[in-house]
Amino acid sequence: MANQHVQNLTIESSQSSPSVIADWERGVIMMRGESYPENSFSLYEKILDWLASYLEASPRSLQLDLELNYLNTSSVRAMIELFDNLQTAAENGREVSVIWRYDARNPRAVELGKELGEDYTFPFTILAIDP
Amino acid sequence: MTTPFPRGHHDDLEQDIVAALENREVDDAGDRELLQRLWQRTGELVARLESVTDLSEMAPGCHRPTRNLLARYERQIKILERMIRISDRNQSDLKRLNQALEEASTHDQLTGLTNRRFMTDRCRQEDRRVERHGGSYALLLLDADHFKRINDSYGHEVGDQTLVELARAFRSSLRQEDLCSRWGGEEFLALLIEANLDEAVGVATRSIESSRAIRVAVDGDDVRITASIGIAAHQANETYADTLRRADTALYEAKRLGRDRYFLEGPAAD
Repeated sequence: MANQHVQNLTIESSQSSPSVIADWERGVIMMRGESYPENSFSLYEKILDWLASYLEASPRSLQLDLELNYLNTSSVRAMIELFDNLQTAAENGREVSVIWRYDARNPRAVELGKELGEDYTFPFTILAIDP
Repeated sequence: MTTPFPRGHHDDLEQDIVAALENREVDDAGDRELLQRLWQRTGELVARLESVTDLSEMAPGCHRPTRNLLARYERQIKILERMIRISDRNQSDLKRLNQALEEASTHDQLTGLTNRRFMTDRCRQEDRRVERHGGSYALLLLDADHFKRINDSYGHEVGDQTLVELARAFRSSLRQEDLCSRWGGEEFLALLIEANLDEAVGVATRSIESSRAIRVAVDGDDVRITASIGIAAHQANETYADTLRRADTALYEAKRLGRDRYFLEGPAAD
């Protein structure tokens, strides 16, 4: 394929899985919604694959922009995998960052963001969104 | 801060074992075979741990080479620890949310008292309890006197405030084991568990007195309120709905007699 290196990934949201837009040009992966899919692996595998080929093909920065209201345990596991991969990239000198957005009406969601972002050395920003 | 990745972490023990296994000279007393088996077992254990936490749920029998076992083990332990922490947080969030929903579905938002649905359930339970184990209860139906006048003269906000005060006065007049709820607009129902008529009258008297003491300040004016109460004690073979009907009749009687008073309906239960 001629455009192999400029490929976007778009996954529609469902009741139990978030929408995903991975934008190659902008170097941004956006995820919005709730995540408790029956098969987390098949969803997150696509994102992990996209991330791997992006990091390999382009030297540019990457931002993971997340607005996830609910994550089940295996989604948390997948999220850790994503962050771990970003950490490896960061350690190799790549500019990566995560934005964790949470509903301002649920202040406890901050804690989940903090918990997830713990231990990483790349910028991990926690932002309240006003509905 | 510790790096989350023990990757690249070299373990002397592992290297020593591998070296010893390659060295035929350690074979003396069958040590080598034991060591070989221990080494294999260790590799299998780490692979098994990985199959639990790994995203892809590797097929059984699909083994990775026995390398960097300690690093792999530490990584999986770290992941598990984080997942447990996050899961715990998730669960306590859900529990809190559940409590908030339950509170919203069983309580009246304005006064904080239990609502009609909750009280109906409690009364039904009480009927079952009395049917099985005997005993009794009394119902007190309290209605604010001339409440419409307050709403009309001072507005709904003052009306609401008066209801909040009335709820507080009613609740504080109950005994510890009693329950009260907002039954309707300006109507409150109390369930007095195992109360005899003297006790029910005591509660009603206190409620009427503390209602009289209510003052809601509006522009230098003190809004006052009084309450009327109908009392009925549960009788054998009656359901709460029957008792309530009699309490309602008593309330009507209290109103008819001039309000700001209680009325006792029906013969004594005991």
